Amino acid sequence: MSGSDLAEFRDTVRRWCRAHVPAEWRTTQTGATDAEFVAFQRDWFQQLRATGYAVPHWPREYGGGIPIPEQIVLYQELAAHDAPRLVLAFVAIHHAAATLLAAGTDEQKQRHLPAILDGELWVQGFSEPDAGSDLAALRTAARRDGGDYVVTGQKVWASGAQYADWCLLLARTDPDVPKRKGISYFLMDMRSPGIEVRPIRQATGESHFCEIFLDEVRIPAANLIGAENRGWQLAQQTLGAERGLTMLELAERLGNAGFRWLVEECRKPGPLGQRPVDDAQIADRLARLEIELAGLRALCRDLVERHDAGAVGPADASVVKLYYSELLQRMTDFGVEVCGLPGQAVLRKPMSGGWESGAWVLDFVGSWEWTVPGGSSEIQRTIIGERGLGLPREPAGA
Amino acid sequence: MSGEFGEFHDELRTVARDLLGKTGADGVDWPLLVRAGWTGLEVPEEYEGTAATFTEVAILLEEIGRAAARTAYPSVAAGVGALSALEPDARRDTVLRETVAGTTIPVAVLGGDMVPAAGGETACAGTGGIVPTFLLTETIEGFRLSGSADFVPDAPVATTLLIPARAPGGSVRLVFVEPGAGGLRIAERQVVDATRSLGRVEAHEVSVAAESIRPFRSDIRDGLRVLYDRAALAVACDSLGIAASMLDATVEYARVRTQFDRPIGSFQAVKHACADMFVELTIARRLVSGALAADGTADRSRAVSAAKSFTGEAGVRIAGKAMQLHGGIGYTWESGIHRYLKRATLNRALFGAPADHRRVLADRYRAG
Repeated sequence: MSGSDLAEFRDTVRRWCRAHVPAEWRTTQTGATDAEFVAFQRDWFQQLRATGYAVPHWPREYGGGIPIPEQIVLYQELAAHDAPRLVLAFVAIHHAAATLLAAGTDEQKQRHLPAILDGELWVQGFSEPDAGSDLAALRTAARRDGGDYVVTGQKVWASGAQYADWCLLLARTDPDVPKRKGISYFLMDMRSPGIEVRPIRQATGESHFCEIFLDEVRIPAANLIGAENRGWQLAQQTLGAERGLTMLELAERLGNAGFRWLVEECRKPGPLGQRPVDDAQIADRLARLEIELAGLRALCRDLVERHDAGAVGPADASVVKLYYSELLQRMTDFGVEVCGLPGQAVLRKPMSGGWESGAWVLDFVGSWEWTVPGGSSEIQRTIIGERGLGLPREPAGA
Repeated sequence: MSGEFGEFHDELRTVARDLLGKTGADGVDWPLLVRAGWTGLEVPEEYEGTAATFTEVAILLEEIGRAAARTAYPSVAAGVGALSALEPDARRDTVLRETVAGTTIPVAVLGGDMVPAAGGETACAGTGGIVPTFLLTETIEGFRLSGSADFVPDAPVATTLLIPARAPGGSVRLVFVEPGAGGLRIAERQVVDATRSLGRVEAHEVSVAAESIRPFRSDIRDGLRVLYDRAALAVACDSLGIAASMLDATVEYARVRTQFDRPIGSFQAVKHACADMFVELTIARRLVSGALAADGTADRSRAVSAAKSFTGEAGVRIAGKAMQLHGGIGYTWESGIHRYLKRATLNRALFGAPADHRRVLADRYRAG
């Protein structure tokens, strides 16, 4: 792909964004009800789908097939135009699709991939209450019973479970082997009897996360994905598969709209008419953040390109996750400081956005949604130290 | 940096590391470096060079930082950049050829304490916010050069000085001056970092022939800023090398040094500190690559400022962390870590402190 073709693609995406990104979505999505949020997300997904931008990373035969350099441009432009994120379909189009494409039977792919494009939603049933960052310590058990597996247990931090049609479920099928070797991966219909979903109220007051209680839920054996007891490897593979593009999108949003709001915040006159941006120290810190964001965005583009070339190192995704989450925290903390008391009175933030909305206090509180889940910052540093730098492991039981 | 250049870059890096590994405290053997083709790397083939780009030079600069080597190569690389930014003519072409052959050491006289001015253009056109500290005047007897620049890297070893000066009429010219010229004084500037040679250059009514006063190429905008950005980026590359070297040394040490019957690298506090060093180095590397890629674009200065300020700080932090994690050994003269720490602090201050570069970036936020 030549530079001029890419430039042309960028122009096309720009024109599309100008015509299709809903101008007032921040306003309408602030304080939206659940139903309004879901309706908005579905509509936005279908608009993107109509032009091939919803699942650019999928194979062409399933409705994708946009090359990596164009995908990078696409996410850059969506971020630059402050487009809504596909929050609701996120697990479906990334994790579910990657899992199906990596290990699904033809039947499973034909059943689910077109359905995702039609709006079927997925949730990840990985984490468990006592497992924390030690994901493999899961205890939810599945036993074979005729043509079904029967599953009992509990999942937690399942984002969007209240809206989901299907669940990517990890369950233990062999309790007698080392913990990573007895786990299987299932596609579970969320309408099966025995499933109860309870939203968890978070520090921000929202309820993205849910608990899922599973009581003798029957999953047809045909819905096992990959081989029995090989679920852990598949989960690692599919979790890693989309991390690059996902992080690219988030980094571009943070560096585009997110930083613009921060600059705007710094230009608002305070009680004495002084603008924070005219203070040398504030300006210096703003510049420091801009530089860090430039570094993060370059890092993410690099990760995507190396992913495409099959040259991703064992700790690369951890570096990106760690840097993004802690920079998000530093940036939103700075926003809280600059916005002062009026900012404390901003009680709602728009749904459908990224983790940076300009409602600084809520964004800052919400930033722990990044430094804790998905492997906490401490876990990421350990991965970088051990897998990236080859440092010795901490002795067991130390 | 991928594809066809990847292999060439790896090879260049290996050769450079090998060559620099042979050097002692007295510095890199200049003829050896000339024979390896370093001085001609970025020079077009018509002047006996290799016609590579600054990206390749940057690899050498990083390796020099990695070795904390004492050598005038970074300044000569900057000098080649300055020569290449001039309109070709007999004098310039000769100096360029002699540089490739190793018989001339051209140094662009930029004060290490020069700072880009926030707010953009100064009274002098074509500077891009960098104010020339030398002035050319025309008298009945000819041209005279006066002014001074402090902390000029490698000025004491230069055989040809390329001095940017404000010419009559307000534009900036590069003036070729021999170190022995009457009225010119070069004084060595000692600093805590013993791995570099810096000098103060003073010119008092130095008589200059008209043919020694050269304009920048017509396609170059803000020539002085181009030279400054290049000098700043070269220092960023050096800091990157310092940081990479200090991380490697620390990881190696943490693997083998035991305390409480365990390698210290197995302690979470040490492991996490190394991880933070690695992350910071990774970001610094991306910013330097970004600045190299922005060469010749409208974003060049901004990208250089980002790379210089971030990498300057990262170099000091990572070298400091290396000293900390090496424990008592790290603080000894013998360990050599102090050399890196001192060089990193000098780098952070050379050609714009981090805050200076951020002040320029921050200028854009105030409008609106």
